[in-house]
Amino acid sequence: MSVILPYEMPALVTTAPLDVHRSTVLPEWVDWNGHMNLAFYVTAFDQASGAFMRNMGLGRRYVDGRHGMTFVLETHVTYDREMKGGAPMRFTTQLLDRDAKRVHLFHEMYHADEGYLAATNETIVMNIDFASRKSAPWPKQAAERLEAVWTAHQHLPRPAKAGRVMGLPKKSSDRATPVAQS
Amino acid sequence: MIEADYGAPLDVHRATVLPEWIDWNGHMNVGFYVVAFDKATDTLCNQFGVSWEYTREKIGMTFVIEAHVTYDREVKEGDPLRITTQLLDHDGKRVHYIHAMYHATEGYLAATNELMLMNIDYATRRSAPWPEWAMPRIEKMAEAHRHLPRPPQAGRLIGIKRK
Repeated sequence: MSVILPYEMPALVTTAPLDVHRSTVLPEWVDWNGHMNLAFYVTAFDQASGAFMRNMGLGRRYVDGRHGMTFVLETHVTYDREMKGGAPMRFTTQLLDRDAKRVHLFHEMYHADEGYLAATNETIVMNIDFASRKSAPWPKQAAERLEAVWTAHQHLPRPAKAGRVMGLPKKSSDRATPVAQS
Repeated sequence: MIEADYGAPLDVHRATVLPEWIDWNGHMNVGFYVVAFDKATDTLCNQFGVSWEYTREKIGMTFVIEAHVTYDREVKEGDPLRITTQLLDHDGKRVHYIHAMYHATEGYLAATNELMLMNIDYATRRSAPWPEWAMPRIEKMAEAHRHLPRPPQAGRLIGIKRK
């Protein structure tokens, strides 16, 4: 049985990709290498997931009202460029897949002024029942909003960095022998 | 430089979940799992002689270029953590490895973190070969870890599995 939330839903954003979350690299996120530490990219991306959840109607009121929570099950980050303390960040979020209790998201982090891609994050987030702390279906309104977002996102091209498996690049000697040219 | 530990897997890193690592869900936040794992990476780099002093002396740095985390069980404030590390692959300037985080007293697996780490030249901030003292240590650890079974969490592809 899906929960019906007792509070008012925010206005729904169906822009594809979602392009609403903005943030700044905090001084305490910078490490001894003089750039944002890898862990805080995950923190920054988690806040972008939070923005996606707020759009589904699952913001702070969802947890504070003890209706439910959302837990990240798995996450994959590519670190593409360094970010320094104070750098402004812009995030875009594409819904890649969803089911009755999970979403599969793909975030991109850009330097908001210089425009370069700093990192990507592919992540699976699951809905959790507050009392049992076990997985549970999305609340009714959230499921409806998720379908509206899916309708808008499902035809976006799949990002090149989605679905990566980590490994060292193969040496040219490991590749299949190319067909000889005559 | 410390004497490197060639135990397979590397099993020396211990930590405790700090109060500031807890979020509004009452457990360690996703970002701080990676903070905890990054400290285990420091322990690994210390075996190779490319940790804090390496950067402080402006010789070089190590940057993570890709990371994959599986969140398997919750951990709470004050929980003791044991983190083991297994080398999966390496080349002249990269190391591919996976950490496993366990609750140190209850024994359960809390999370895994697969990483690709690259050596960086201090001045140019670009990739560079491992320093000559590090390479034999990496090779020796890789040899010690070669016969470990590959963890099922290594090389995972993210997606919603359908029945």
